[in-house]
Amino acid sequence: MSATRETITTALLGLLLGFVLSRIGFSSWDEVHRMFTFTDLRMFLSFAVGVVLLGLSWVLIARASGATWSPRRLHQGTIVGGILFGAGWALSGACPGIALVQIGEGQLGAIATLGGILVGNWIYAAAHERWLRWPTEGCADQ
Amino acid sequence: MIPHWPFWLGALGLAGVAVLHWLGLGRLMAVSGSFSAFVNRARHREASPGDSMSEAEDELGPRSLASSADALTAAASLPAPRATMSNHAVFLLGLIGGGFLSAAIAGAFEITLGLRSQELAAISHTSAPSGAIPLLAVGGVLVGFGTRMASGCTSGHGLCGVSRLQVGSLAATMAFFGTGIVVSFLLGAIG
Repeated sequence: MSATRETITTALLGLLLGFVLSRIGFSSWDEVHRMFTFTDLRMFLSFAVGVVLLGLSWVLIARASGATWSPRRLHQGTIVGGILFGAGWALSGACPGIALVQIGEGQLGAIATLGGILVGNWIYAAAHERWLRWPTEGCADQ
Repeated sequence: MIPHWPFWLGALGLAGVAVLHWLGLGRLMAVSGSFSAFVNRARHREASPGDSMSEAEDELGPRSLASSADALTAAASLPAPRATMSNHAVFLLGLIGGGFLSAAIAGAFEITLGLRSQELAAISHTSAPSGAIPLLAVGGVLVGFGTRMASGCTSGHGLCGVSRLQVGSLAATMAFFGTGIVVSFLLGAIG
Protein backbone atom coordinates (compact mmCIF):
# COMPACT_ATOMS: atom_id res chain seq x y z
CA MET A 1 0.00 0.00 0.00
CA SER A 2 1.40 3.37 -0.92
CA ALA A 3 2.07 5.89 1.80
CA THR A 4 -0.51 8.27 0.39
CA ARG A 5 -3.18 5.61 0.27
CA GLU A 6 -2.40 4.58 3.83
CA THR A 7 -2.68 8.18 5.00
CA ILE A 8 -6.02 8.65 3.22
CA THR A 9 -7.34 5.36 4.64
CA THR A 10 -6.19 6.41 8.12
CA ALA A 11 -7.92 9.78 7.79
CA LEU A 12 -11.19 8.20 6.60
CA LEU A 13 -11.13 5.67 9.46
CA GLY A 14 -10.52 8.46 11.98
CA LEU A 15 -13.46 10.42 10.52
CA LEU A 16 -15.70 7.37 10.58
CA LEU A 17 -14.80 6.42 14.16
CA GLY A 18 -15.34 10.00 15.31
CA PHE A 19 -18.72 10.13 13.58
CA VAL A 20 -19.85 6.76 14.97
CA LEU A 21 -18.77 7.60 18.54
CA SER A 22 -20.56 10.94 18.35
CA ARG A 23 -23.79 9.40 17.02
CA ILE A 24 -23.79 6.66 19.65
CA GLY A 25 -23.51 9.35 22.31
CA PHE A 26 -20.08 8.57 23.75
CA SER A 27 -19.14 12.26 23.35
CA SER A 28 -21.96 13.36 25.64
CA TRP A 29 -20.94 13.57 29.30
CA ASP A 30 -24.59 13.07 30.31
CA GLU A 31 -25.02 9.95 28.13
CA VAL A 32 -21.82 8.42 29.55
CA HIS A 33 -23.06 9.18 33.07
CA ARG A 34 -26.43 7.56 32.27
CA MET A 35 -24.59 4.49 30.96
CA PHE A 36 -22.43 4.11 34.08
CA THR A 37 -25.38 4.63 36.43
CA PHE A 38 -27.58 2.17 34.44
CA THR A 39 -30.12 4.92 33.85
CA ASP A 40 -29.99 4.08 30.13
CA LEU A 41 -28.63 0.76 28.89
CA ARG A 42 -28.51 1.78 25.21
CA MET A 43 -24.76 2.55 25.08
CA PHE A 44 -23.83 -0.52 27.16
CA LEU A 45 -25.82 -2.58 24.67
CA SER A 46 -24.16 -0.87 21.69
CA PHE A 47 -20.79 -1.76 23.16
CA ALA A 48 -21.63 -5.32 24.19
CA VAL A 49 -23.37 -6.25 20.94
CA GLY A 50 -20.58 -4.52 19.01
CA VAL A 51 -18.03 -6.75 20.78
CA VAL A 52 -20.03 -9.87 19.90
CA LEU A 53 -20.32 -8.84 16.23
CA LEU A 54 -16.62 -8.07 16.21
CA GLY A 55 -15.79 -11.47 17.70
CA LEU A 56 -17.76 -13.19 14.92
CA SER A 57 -16.00 -10.99 12.36
CA TRP A 58 -12.54 -12.05 13.61
CA VAL A 59 -13.52 -15.70 13.31
CA LEU A 60 -14.64 -15.16 9.71
CA ILE A 61 -11.56 -13.11 8.85
CA ALA A 62 -9.24 -15.70 10.39
CA ARG A 63 -10.94 -18.48 8.40
CA ALA A 64 -10.77 -16.54 5.14
CA SER A 65 -7.23 -15.16 5.41
CA GLY A 66 -5.50 -17.17 8.13
CA ALA A 67 -4.73 -13.94 9.96
CA THR A 68 -3.69 -14.12 13.61
CA TRP A 69 -3.27 -11.28 16.07
CA SER A 70 -0.88 -10.56 18.89
CA PRO A 71 -2.07 -11.50 22.39
CA ARG A 72 -3.09 -8.99 25.04
CA ARG A 73 -1.78 -10.58 28.21
CA LEU A 74 -2.34 -9.61 31.81
CA HIS A 75 0.60 -7.70 33.27
CA GLN A 76 1.26 -5.82 36.52
CA GLY A 77 -0.25 -2.61 35.20
CA THR A 78 -3.39 -4.00 33.60
CA ILE A 79 -5.86 -3.85 36.48
CA VAL A 80 -4.50 -0.80 38.31
CA GLY A 81 -4.27 1.05 34.99
CA GLY A 82 -7.81 0.01 34.11
CA ILE A 83 -9.08 1.27 37.48
CA LEU A 84 -7.39 4.65 37.03
CA PHE A 85 -8.71 4.93 33.49
CA GLY A 86 -12.25 4.05 34.59
CA ALA A 87 -12.18 6.75 37.28
CA GLY A 88 -10.90 9.28 34.76
CA TRP A 89 -13.56 8.26 32.21
CA ALA A 90 -16.36 8.76 34.74
CA LEU A 91 -14.98 12.17 35.79
CA SER A 92 -14.16 13.59 32.37
CA GLY A 93 -16.78 11.67 30.38
CA ALA A 94 -14.08 10.79 27.89
CA CYS A 95 -12.10 7.78 26.84
CA PRO A 96 -9.04 8.89 24.86
CA GLY A 97 -10.58 9.44 21.42
CA ILE A 98 -13.67 11.09 22.84
CA ALA A 99 -11.89 14.25 23.97
CA LEU A 100 -11.07 14.87 20.30
CA VAL A 101 -14.60 14.07 19.11
CA GLN A 102 -15.96 16.53 21.69
CA ILE A 103 -13.60 19.24 20.45
CA GLY A 104 -14.82 18.57 16.89
CA GLU A 105 -18.40 19.04 18.06
CA GLY A 106 -17.43 22.43 19.47
CA GLN A 107 -17.35 21.36 23.14
CA LEU A 108 -14.18 23.25 23.93
CA GLY A 109 -14.12 22.18 27.59
CA ALA A 110 -12.64 18.96 26.22
CA ILE A 111 -9.40 20.86 25.57
CA ALA A 112 -8.82 20.54 29.33
CA THR A 113 -9.45 16.78 29.09
CA LEU A 114 -7.13 16.49 26.11
CA GLY A 115 -4.41 18.40 27.95
CA GLY A 116 -4.84 16.05 30.90
CA ILE A 117 -4.60 12.96 28.68
CA LEU A 118 -1.37 14.19 27.09
CA VAL A 119 0.12 15.03 30.50
CA GLY A 120 -0.99 11.66 31.92
CA ASN A 121 0.60 9.84 29.01
CA TRP A 122 3.82 11.72 29.51
CA ILE A 123 3.89 11.14 33.28
CA TYR A 124 3.30 7.41 32.83
CA ALA A 125 6.05 7.06 30.25
CA ALA A 126 8.48 8.85 32.56
CA ALA A 127 7.40 6.81 35.60
CA HIS A 128 7.65 3.57 33.66
CA GLU A 129 11.13 4.38 32.47
CA ARG A 130 12.30 5.51 35.89
CA TRP A 131 10.67 3.02 38.29
CA LEU A 132 8.29 0.47 36.91
CA ARG A 133 9.94 -1.20 33.92
CA TRP A 134 7.77 -4.28 34.09
CA PRO A 135 7.52 -6.45 31.04
CA THR A 136 4.33 -5.81 29.15
CA GLU A 137 4.75 -8.72 26.75
CA GLY A 138 5.27 -6.17 24.02
CA CYS A 139 1.58 -5.69 23.77
CA ALA A 140 0.99 -2.03 24.18
CA ASP A 141 -1.84 -0.67 22.13
CA GLN A 142 -2.00 -2.33 18.77
CA MET B 1 -28.86 18.04 19.84
CA ILE B 2 -27.03 15.28 18.03
CA PRO B 3 -29.48 12.42 17.39
CA HIS B 4 -28.32 9.19 19.03
CA TRP B 5 -28.48 5.84 17.29
CA PRO B 6 -30.44 2.84 18.57
CA PHE B 7 -28.18 0.24 20.15
CA TRP B 8 -28.09 -2.11 17.14
CA LEU B 9 -26.91 0.65 14.81
CA GLY B 10 -24.29 1.67 17.35
CA ALA B 11 -23.11 -1.94 17.62
CA LEU B 12 -22.86 -2.25 13.83
CA GLY B 13 -20.99 1.06 13.72
CA LEU B 14 -18.41 0.06 16.35
CA ALA B 15 -17.82 -3.41 14.90
CA GLY B 16 -17.81 -1.99 11.36
CA VAL B 17 -15.12 0.61 12.05
CA ALA B 18 -12.92 -1.94 13.85
CA VAL B 19 -13.21 -4.44 10.97
CA LEU B 20 -12.57 -1.76 8.33
CA HIS B 21 -9.53 -0.60 10.32
CA TRP B 22 -8.08 -4.10 10.19
CA LEU B 23 -8.96 -4.69 6.53
CA GLY B 24 -7.77 -1.26 5.45
CA LEU B 25 -4.56 -0.95 7.46
CA GLY B 26 -3.68 -4.45 8.68
CA ARG B 27 -3.56 -3.23 12.28
CA LEU B 28 -6.04 -3.44 15.11
CA MET B 29 -7.64 -0.16 16.07
CA ALA B 30 -6.20 1.41 19.23
CA VAL B 31 -6.74 5.06 19.98
CA SER B 32 -4.66 5.40 23.16
CA GLY B 33 -1.72 3.85 21.30
CA SER B 34 -1.81 6.77 18.89
CA PHE B 35 -1.81 9.22 21.77
CA SER B 36 1.13 7.47 23.35
CA ALA B 37 3.10 7.25 20.14
CA PHE B 38 2.54 10.93 19.57
CA VAL B 39 3.36 12.12 23.09
CA ASN B 40 6.34 9.83 23.50
CA ARG B 41 7.78 10.12 20.01
CA ALA B 42 11.11 11.36 21.33
CA ARG B 43 11.35 8.26 23.55
CA HIS B 44 10.45 6.06 20.61
CA ARG B 45 13.37 7.42 18.65
CA GLU B 46 15.83 7.17 21.52
CA ALA B 47 14.82 3.73 22.68
CA SER B 48 17.11 0.95 21.59
CA PRO B 49 15.48 -2.14 20.09
CA GLY B 50 15.98 -4.35 23.15
CA ASP B 51 14.89 -1.72 25.62
CA SER B 52 11.88 -2.58 27.75
CA MET B 53 10.45 0.88 27.18
CA SER B 54 10.34 0.40 23.45
CA GLU B 55 8.65 -2.94 24.00
CA ALA B 56 6.06 -1.38 26.28
CA GLU B 57 5.27 1.57 24.11
CA ASP B 58 5.74 0.02 20.74
CA GLU B 59 3.06 -0.26 18.20
CA LEU B 60 2.67 -3.83 17.13
CA GLY B 61 0.60 -5.05 14.29
CA PRO B 62 -0.48 -8.61 13.76
CA ARG B 63 2.32 -10.82 15.02
CA SER B 64 2.11 -13.44 12.37
CA LEU B 65 0.09 -13.76 9.28
CA ALA B 66 -0.33 -17.14 7.73
CA SER B 67 -0.38 -17.96 4.04
CA SER B 68 -0.81 -14.90 1.93
CA ALA B 69 -2.24 -17.00 -0.88
CA ASP B 70 -5.78 -16.55 0.26
CA ALA B 71 -5.28 -13.21 1.98
CA LEU B 72 -8.45 -11.25 2.37
CA THR B 73 -6.69 -8.02 1.59
CA ALA B 74 -3.30 -6.98 0.31
CA ALA B 75 -2.61 -5.47 3.72
CA ALA B 76 -3.10 -8.80 5.44
CA SER B 77 -0.14 -10.28 3.59
CA LEU B 78 2.30 -7.64 4.79
CA PRO B 79 4.38 -8.30 7.90
CA ALA B 80 3.28 -6.36 11.00
CA PRO B 81 2.82 -2.90 9.52
CA ARG B 82 3.28 -0.01 11.92
CA ALA B 83 1.72 3.39 11.70
CA THR B 84 4.06 6.28 11.03
CA MET B 85 4.04 9.18 13.46
CA SER B 86 2.25 11.41 10.97
CA ASN B 87 -0.46 8.78 10.47
CA HIS B 88 -1.04 8.64 14.23
CA ALA B 89 -1.64 12.39 14.04
CA VAL B 90 -3.86 12.00 10.97
CA PHE B 91 -6.02 9.45 12.79
CA LEU B 92 -6.39 11.70 15.84
CA LEU B 93 -7.24 14.70 13.65
CA GLY B 94 -9.77 12.49 11.84
CA LEU B 95 -11.58 11.97 15.16
CA ILE B 96 -11.96 15.74 15.51
CA GLY B 97 -13.30 15.88 11.93
CA GLY B 98 -15.73 13.03 12.61
CA GLY B 99 -17.13 14.83 15.64
CA PHE B 100 -17.49 18.00 13.58
CA LEU B 101 -19.26 16.18 10.73
CA SER B 102 -21.65 14.46 13.12
CA ALA B 103 -22.61 17.75 14.76
CA ALA B 104 -22.68 19.79 11.55
CA ILE B 105 -24.87 17.30 9.63
CA ALA B 106 -27.32 17.30 12.53
CA GLY B 107 -27.28 21.11 12.51
CA ALA B 108 -26.01 20.90 16.08
CA PHE B 109 -22.55 22.38 15.70
CA GLU B 110 -21.93 25.18 18.14
CA ILE B 111 -18.96 26.41 20.08
CA THR B 112 -19.39 26.08 23.84
CA LEU B 113 -16.65 26.86 26.32
CA GLY B 114 -17.44 23.94 28.60
CA LEU B 115 -19.04 20.58 27.81
CA ARG B 116 -22.70 20.47 26.82
CA SER B 117 -23.82 18.70 29.98
CA GLN B 118 -26.47 19.48 32.55
CA GLU B 119 -25.27 16.84 35.00
CA LEU B 120 -21.76 18.26 35.00
CA ALA B 121 -23.09 21.74 35.79
CA ALA B 122 -25.03 20.27 38.72
CA ILE B 123 -22.01 18.36 40.03
CA SER B 124 -19.64 21.31 39.79
CA HIS B 125 -22.35 23.55 41.35
CA THR B 126 -21.98 26.20 38.69
CA SER B 127 -23.28 26.77 35.20
CA ALA B 128 -20.09 28.65 34.29
CA PRO B 129 -18.16 26.64 31.69
CA SER B 130 -14.94 27.03 33.67
CA GLY B 131 -16.50 25.34 36.69
CA ALA B 132 -15.93 21.84 35.37
CA ILE B 133 -12.41 22.46 34.04
CA PRO B 134 -10.54 21.05 37.09
CA LEU B 135 -12.67 17.90 37.01
CA LEU B 136 -12.04 17.43 33.28
CA ALA B 137 -8.30 18.06 33.58
CA VAL B 138 -7.87 15.66 36.52
CA GLY B 139 -10.04 13.08 34.73
CA GLY B 140 -7.91 13.51 31.61
CA VAL B 141 -4.67 12.87 33.52
CA LEU B 142 -6.16 9.66 34.97
CA VAL B 143 -7.29 8.59 31.49
CA GLY B 144 -3.88 9.26 29.95
CA PHE B 145 -1.94 7.60 32.79
CA GLY B 146 -4.33 4.68 33.24
CA THR B 147 -4.67 3.72 29.59
CA ARG B 148 -0.92 3.70 29.20
CA MET B 149 -0.39 1.70 32.39
CA ALA B 150 -2.98 -0.84 31.24
CA SER B 151 -1.59 -0.79 27.67
CA GLY B 152 -4.92 0.06 26.12
CA CYS B 153 -8.28 1.74 26.27
CA THR B 154 -11.84 1.21 25.12
CA SER B 155 -10.82 0.53 21.52
CA GLY B 156 -7.69 -1.60 21.92
CA HIS B 157 -8.78 -3.54 25.02
CA GLY B 158 -12.54 -3.05 25.17
CA LEU B 159 -13.43 -3.66 21.55
CA CYS B 160 -10.51 -5.38 19.82
CA GLY B 161 -9.16 -7.31 22.83
CA VAL B 162 -12.36 -8.52 24.49
CA SER B 163 -13.79 -9.63 21.12
CA ARG B 164 -10.70 -11.87 20.78
CA LEU B 165 -11.17 -13.12 24.36
CA GLN B 166 -7.76 -11.82 25.44
CA VAL B 167 -7.18 -12.22 29.19
CA GLY B 168 -5.44 -8.87 29.64
CA SER B 169 -8.22 -7.07 27.78
CA LEU B 170 -11.00 -8.79 29.72
CA ALA B 171 -9.31 -7.81 33.01
CA ALA B 172 -8.66 -4.21 31.92
CA THR B 173 -12.20 -3.79 30.58
CA MET B 174 -13.82 -5.16 33.73
CA ALA B 175 -11.56 -2.84 35.76
CA PHE B 176 -12.40 0.32 33.81
CA PHE B 177 -16.11 -0.32 33.40
CA GLY B 178 -16.39 -1.38 37.05
CA THR B 179 -14.59 1.72 38.30
CA GLY B 180 -16.54 3.93 35.91
CA ILE B 181 -19.76 2.62 37.44
CA VAL B 182 -18.58 3.13 41.05
CA VAL B 183 -17.23 6.63 40.45
CA SER B 184 -20.34 7.68 38.50
CA PHE B 185 -22.61 6.61 41.37
CA LEU B 186 -20.35 8.53 43.80
CA LEU B 187 -20.53 11.61 41.56
CA GLY B 188 -24.30 11.25 41.37
CA ALA B 189 -24.46 11.14 45.16
CA ILE B 190 -22.61 14.43 45.58
CA GLY B 191 -24.25 16.13 42.56
